[in-house]
Amino acid sequence: MTEWTEPAERVSSPTFSRRILSEVLLRWGARLGLAWIGLLTLIAVFAPLLANSHPLLLRTAEGWSSPMLRFLGPADATLLGAFALAVLLRLLPGRPLARFLGWLAGLGILAAVSFALISPPSLVVFEQYREAQAEGAYLQVIRAPIPYSAKDYLRDFANTGLEPPRGSGDDRRHWFGTDENGADVLSRMIHATRIALSIGFIATGIALMIGIVLGGLMGYFSGIVDMLGMRLVEIFEAIPTLFLLLTFVAFFGRSLYLMMLIIGLTSWSGYARYVRAEFLRLRQQDFVQGAIASGLSLRSILFRHMLPNGMAPILVAASFGVASAILAEATLSFLGLGLVDDPSWGQTLNQAVQSSTFNWWLAAFPGGAIFLTVFAYNLIGEALRDAVDPHAQSGKAAVATKGAD
Amino acid sequence: MRSTPMPSREKRLWQPRGPTDMLDVKDLTIRLTHQAEPLVQGVSFSIARGEMFCLVGESGSGKSLTALAVMGILDRGFEAPTGEVWLQGRGTPQNLLTLDEPALAGIRGDRIGMIFQEPMTSLNPVFTVGEQIMEVLRLHRPELEAKEVAARALEALVEVQLPSPAQRFHDFPHKLSGGQRQRVMIAMALVAEPELLIADEPTTALDVTIQAEILRLIDRLREKNGMSVLLITHDFGVVAQVGDRVAVMHRGKLVEQGSTGVVVHTPQHAYTRQLIRALPENLPPLPPVPVHDQVKLLEVDRLQVHFPVLKGLLRRPVDFIRAVEDVSFDLAAGEVLAVVGESGCGKTTLGRALLRLIEPTGGSVRYHGQAMETLGRKELRRLRRRLQVVFQDPASSLNPRLTVQTTLTEPMAAHGIGADDEERIALARAVLEQVAMPADTLWRYPHEFSGGQRQRIGIARALVLDPDVIICDEVTSALDVSVQAEILQILGRLRAERQLALIFITHNMGVVEYLSDRMLVMKAGRMEELGRTRDVIARPQADYTRRLLDAVPRVSDHVGRHAAAN
Repeated sequence: MTEWTEPAERVSSPTFSRRILSEVLLRWGARLGLAWIGLLTLIAVFAPLLANSHPLLLRTAEGWSSPMLRFLGPADATLLGAFALAVLLRLLPGRPLARFLGWLAGLGILAAVSFALISPPSLVVFEQYREAQAEGAYLQVIRAPIPYSAKDYLRDFANTGLEPPRGSGDDRRHWFGTDENGADVLSRMIHATRIALSIGFIATGIALMIGIVLGGLMGYFSGIVDMLGMRLVEIFEAIPTLFLLLTFVAFFGRSLYLMMLIIGLTSWSGYARYVRAEFLRLRQQDFVQGAIASGLSLRSILFRHMLPNGMAPILVAASFGVASAILAEATLSFLGLGLVDDPSWGQTLNQAVQSSTFNWWLAAFPGGAIFLTVFAYNLIGEALRDAVDPHAQSGKAAVATKGAD
Repeated sequence: MRSTPMPSREKRLWQPRGPTDMLDVKDLTIRLTHQAEPLVQGVSFSIARGEMFCLVGESGSGKSLTALAVMGILDRGFEAPTGEVWLQGRGTPQNLLTLDEPALAGIRGDRIGMIFQEPMTSLNPVFTVGEQIMEVLRLHRPELEAKEVAARALEALVEVQLPSPAQRFHDFPHKLSGGQRQRVMIAMALVAEPELLIADEPTTALDVTIQAEILRLIDRLREKNGMSVLLITHDFGVVAQVGDRVAVMHRGKLVEQGSTGVVVHTPQHAYTRQLIRALPENLPPLPPVPVHDQVKLLEVDRLQVHFPVLKGLLRRPVDFIRAVEDVSFDLAAGEVLAVVGESGCGKTTLGRALLRLIEPTGGSVRYHGQAMETLGRKELRRLRRRLQVVFQDPASSLNPRLTVQTTLTEPMAAHGIGADDEERIALARAVLEQVAMPADTLWRYPHEFSGGQRQRIGIARALVLDPDVIICDEVTSALDVSVQAEILQILGRLRAERQLALIFITHNMGVVEYLSDRMLVMKAGRMEELGRTRDVIARPQADYTRRLLDAVPRVSDHVGRHAAAN
């Protein structure tokens, strides 16, 4: 009814997070990093469409069918569904936080439904389609760009594996060569993207959650809570993550989820320190004192006035944390303690030095991928740090504020 | 200065322009790289030998940039300044802008000394005071023997009247107070006996009594060494005290220059007139407001705030810092009480203890007869509506993540003011109008506003709860004088309209005189004096109050009040 609802008035000012984002995007390093992570995300989501021994579509005398869909696992379905949901929510109006929470809820439901309902046939004969195609049983076949699944071992010509990338002229081409089992390296790397990304995000997510809660409590209440909390932080900082991981792998077997959990549980101490320091600083800020003097509730002071203002430096630390979690997983796999059958960049790297010869294609490609991903996260982290640090603003703005008077 | 008057500027003769000039700046223009609009444009002035030349302007006027360009220490990001800067005196005249870096480095510290604003960060904390002064000498007087260097450095410390200089010589900077550090900075700047001293706001970070001492010191050394001084300041009071000639800068341009008496007396340029008129001592007096003496809003009785000093493994308190000790006063409805004192006297702690942002360790505060220290958490939150606060630093007093609308309506919602958001927004809009901010302020974020505007939003945040008392903690000290005048006028008007009582914490005597009914002088946590402002100013009872009042630089001291009010 009143003129205050006029949208023209309201959209005039960008929010704080939007300003930080545009600051970050000013930097070419951050753009490259974000582009690389975005590309990896797309690859991870669409991995079954990109590299698959099952034809995407084929036409036989009985009509069209899609073996790819029939062999789609619950994890594949969840990821694809989550992606579709994200695109859908991006188009819908609403507050970013609400949309994000909605997406998380949707993700949970999707995962539950797909793991309950989808059960692809457990017996997989990758060779059957190639043989059938060679016999001319299909009228029309549409294959994935890389027509090999990650676990399509040695079935091609019953050869020995470990083929370097071949030149052209071969219809069974392996762009990045094959590993010791004869599996296509590019295909394995594409499927391994999921592990690399998810271990980074989930392990860091767990660490962030613990770190923010404990650090926030220490910072706000200080005193005895702070003292005990800091001792706990010191205890956890004294635990060497890698050795703990090795021990757990030895006792409980190899599991991706266990790895995520352990990396998360041992790396929260850094975040807790950050949050504590931020909260100690923010408590003394006039606007927080003003909020207390206005009689606002503790919840509002903590979550509206303090946490969002302390988030930026924590995100910086988190982006570096993601990189180190990825490295930790790669290290484990390289040591031969990673996942058994599932593809992982570190595991491929490990194979490069396993046989008597040095298989360069097994080292260069996954090594390059690890390097680029860690580098991308570091670039993003650095850009974020510059963007939230008022003393290191980019370009003219900084000089102008410093130079004026 | 009332107790020890400075020699009158009018009497001193300064030499005619020309060959006796020390520094000649001609058509100096400074701009940022890739930016057409210059930050300093066509500035020309000259400083005679032995002259105290003041450059006055508000923040952003380009006065510090001018000094940095003269020294050749502009930041990266600036284009090489154009124009000419001729340094004369010893040797042949040189155009500083055409010299290369090694030549400039030889001149800095040797022929031109510089003092910066912030004494706390301008000394290197890992070297002793003496070492830092000796370094200057070793650099610029390599012919001196080591013994002589030490002797000269010590002499310099004696010269700047540092207490027990021989002992201080071996101390590290953290042992020195701000005023002492500024003395060391002056010793460093002067030890090589420069012909020109550039002082960039040398007293802005210091207390007023120390400011008076430092200004007197600079003036004395200028006279003794026959040195020229370029003093950069925003304070017309300081200019009137010590300046021979003054130049006024506004938005990168020199709008007026002349001898101090003439400029202060009969300012020609509209901007200079506006600046002088905005000084609290020259503002039109506020209409008298009736004070309801019988209604005691606040009664403060022997309030104490002690901070424990913790030591050892078990963090046992070994001593207490007595930040506020036995302070008692009362505040009537609609009254303005100024709390005055120098930095560290406990005035800010007192304000926060009244609000219970810091828990008092003793004494009592009664609001309408109800003791606040007995209140529980919930009751206290309800009471917070009545006692509000506005902070000093406009940069940190508003949550950067929230729009002004949220900042203003959230407290209202917490106290159940207004039926729904729409009503609260209408209320917020009305309050913004009272502090002369446009209505579209509501949808903007704090970073889009200037310091003065943010301070007004801060006042609006306090006002939306319709309080009885607002504690204003140095609300104008981070602001330029013209902006300060606006804020003071707004506060004066609000007080009359709303029957608002103000506790005005400040170190600025001009503001106290302008706004307050009564004043409380604090020193080292204790009350020195409490009385009606008019009486205290006219007949201070305590020694400390007298010293404080004497140290305040006033434009009116220069020529007498009537002429300056103009």
